[in-house]
Amino acid sequence: MIHVHDRELVVPGQLIAEGSYRLQEGTFREGNQVYSAVVGLVDLRGREINVIPLQGRYIPSRGDLVIGVVIDSHYSGWIFDLNSPYTGNLFVSDLLHRKVDLNREDISGYLNIGDVVIAMVKDVDERMRVLLETDAPGMGKVEGGELVEISPVKVPRVLGRKGSMLNTLQDATGCRVSVGQNGRIIIEGKDQRMMNAVVEALLMIEREAHTSGLTDRVRLLLEKAKSVGGN
Amino acid sequence: MCEIVSSVKRDYIIDLAKQGKRVDGRTLDQFRDVSVEVGPIKSANGSAQVRLGNTRVLVGVKIEHAEPFPDTPESGVLIVNAELRPLASPSFELGPPREKAIELARVVDRGIRESEAIDLEKFGIKPGEDVWAVFVDIHVLDHDGNLIDASALGAIAALLNVKPPEDEAWSLKEFPIRKRPVAVTVSRINDKLMVDPCLDEESMMDARLTITTTEDGSICAMQKGGVGYLSREQIEQAYQLVRMKAAELREHLR
Amino acid sequence: MEKPEKLIVDGKRLDGRALDELRPIKIEAGVLKRADGSAYVELGMNKVLAAVYGPREMHPRHDQQPDTAVLRCYYNMAPFSVDDRKRPGPDRRSVEISKVTREAFEPVMFLELYPRSVIDVFIEVLEADAGTRTAGINAAAVALADAGVPMRDIISAVAVGKIDGTIVLDLAKEEDQWGTTDMPVALMPRKKMITLLQMDGHFTEEEFKQALDMAFKGCEQIYEVQRQALRKKYAVKEE
Repeated sequence: MIHVHDRELVVPGQLIAEGSYRLQEGTFREGNQVYSAVVGLVDLRGREINVIPLQGRYIPSRGDLVIGVVIDSHYSGWIFDLNSPYTGNLFVSDLLHRKVDLNREDISGYLNIGDVVIAMVKDVDERMRVLLETDAPGMGKVEGGELVEISPVKVPRVLGRKGSMLNTLQDATGCRVSVGQNGRIIIEGKDQRMMNAVVEALLMIEREAHTSGLTDRVRLLLEKAKSVGGN
Repeated sequence: MCEIVSSVKRDYIIDLAKQGKRVDGRTLDQFRDVSVEVGPIKSANGSAQVRLGNTRVLVGVKIEHAEPFPDTPESGVLIVNAELRPLASPSFELGPPREKAIELARVVDRGIRESEAIDLEKFGIKPGEDVWAVFVDIHVLDHDGNLIDASALGAIAALLNVKPPEDEAWSLKEFPIRKRPVAVTVSRINDKLMVDPCLDEESMMDARLTITTTEDGSICAMQKGGVGYLSREQIEQAYQLVRMKAAELREHLR
Repeated sequence: MEKPEKLIVDGKRLDGRALDELRPIKIEAGVLKRADGSAYVELGMNKVLAAVYGPREMHPRHDQQPDTAVLRCYYNMAPFSVDDRKRPGPDRRSVEISKVTREAFEPVMFLELYPRSVIDVFIEVLEADAGTRTAGINAAAVALADAGVPMRDIISAVAVGKIDGTIVLDLAKEEDQWGTTDMPVALMPRKKMITLLQMDGHFTEEEFKQALDMAFKGCEQIYEVQRQALRKKYAVKEE
């Protein structure tokens, strides 16, 4: 028995359903009842109940693409700020994809404090210790471009269904947009005006994430920027 | 926990500055949206809440009896205190005021005291024993840069808004404010000067200069901050900027 | 100020309220930019701001709990919030209130979801008008929800007391000053579980039961205002 409708805004402690449903994020069970734990939108799919939080910090999960900022170094690697309660650890061997003899090599030249790196979460243990790796194309140190930070809960909207929004952002502007699950986004491109348009679009998406017609408004914004560019 | 402005953002800010632009779309000589709400706190004798963009500061003025300083037995006492409450920023910690809060309070204090905005001579009650103390308490609620200008503006707005205490010892017709000192902070990023640094700009600026002026443009307080230096020309250039912006800020006072 | 002769006249209190009536209350969610979550509450002349940071990294590291988050609450009064200026800094009363506030929230939090981290709750009383600790708890509950911190319920709090021998809801300043009993209560409204209970004064068993009934009713009213505040902020964002 469901007490709310799909996409309804719920608050912590609000009764969502009674019965044997499969619970996903943002919910908890007490006996036969299912409640929301957060402020969010109910997402009902068959027997699955999900509450999409409208606010919250980023909690690292294996396989996530993240954008981290170096805050410290240690003997065999670096510690990253991930815009999360948890920092990430990158061993030099995972940065360079080869074994490193620390007795012979001085690794301090590879990354400095403040450097930005696109990485993937390799593993998270039960103590929430996070291991990173940069073992795929497009990962590694970022040398230029713009860094935008949005609320992590809005990242799905930036990507869009099957990546549709992200494709729109890239195709309309010719920029490369790397989206971290932790709310950080790197925009790289040759045309500063187009890069700025992407920034504006991202801020619009963050503001209006849960409204309809957003993709059209974003497309319009990008088209305007292109034409103002003066051809 | 320190504020990290990653190298990418830093380069972006520097690049924009070269073109005379800033992260939030302002020009170098533009202040963020300013709002001054006067009298929100009824338990205070005077109060004001200032918003400078997202920076939010609440200033409360309390007037109480106090003992005078021995060398000025008939003068009132001015005490300015600032609290950088931890709710205002992840980098503010609990505990007694440390150097940032202390500097903030002392710079605001200097602006009020050195301009002689308040005629403290009128605040004697019983010479040598009892005078009026004016407490100006700065309570920072949301830190997005440039706390000094917001706090100084809040302080003078709150003072202008004071209703004297209901106390038979209060003999003045009105609260004696003579001047309206206003602080304006200018920051230097490379060779560019910009007013009202937001948090991102503050985190990577080379230096800042705060100049407090009164209505006729005369300077009553100055404070240079930051790890870098300023040239003579930059300081004089800053003063020109400050003069113009102080007049604009003063428009927000009653 | 002198004690008024009567605090209740013809069933009405000094400010015109009925015995079981709350002062005007207003709650706004998400009022600060830097904090992860925030809320502002006005209850009578009380003006209270609450902010939440977290979950976030806990320093110093040796204070981290390996398998759970730590919840910290700090209640503070601004120097200008009271009639006689309060010297800045924690006093014994603030420390006690901070503790019972934390304990009011611990039963509803899912702290084990965030090992080694800390959730910080800051309560700032900007203007005080009796009942600041309950106003603070109401604000903190909304701020926690606003920050996306998962909870089993939104905690609601109110104070009841006894004036002129009669039980009343939500004591005003004079009633707190001249009444005989003050009892703040915080509730998990959904399950009617009490997470904060303090009392000073005098109650018979019967009076205590009556007071609890009244507190429960008051909390339920506040619960609705809290939920509305959250809906209002986020409804703007959704269609």
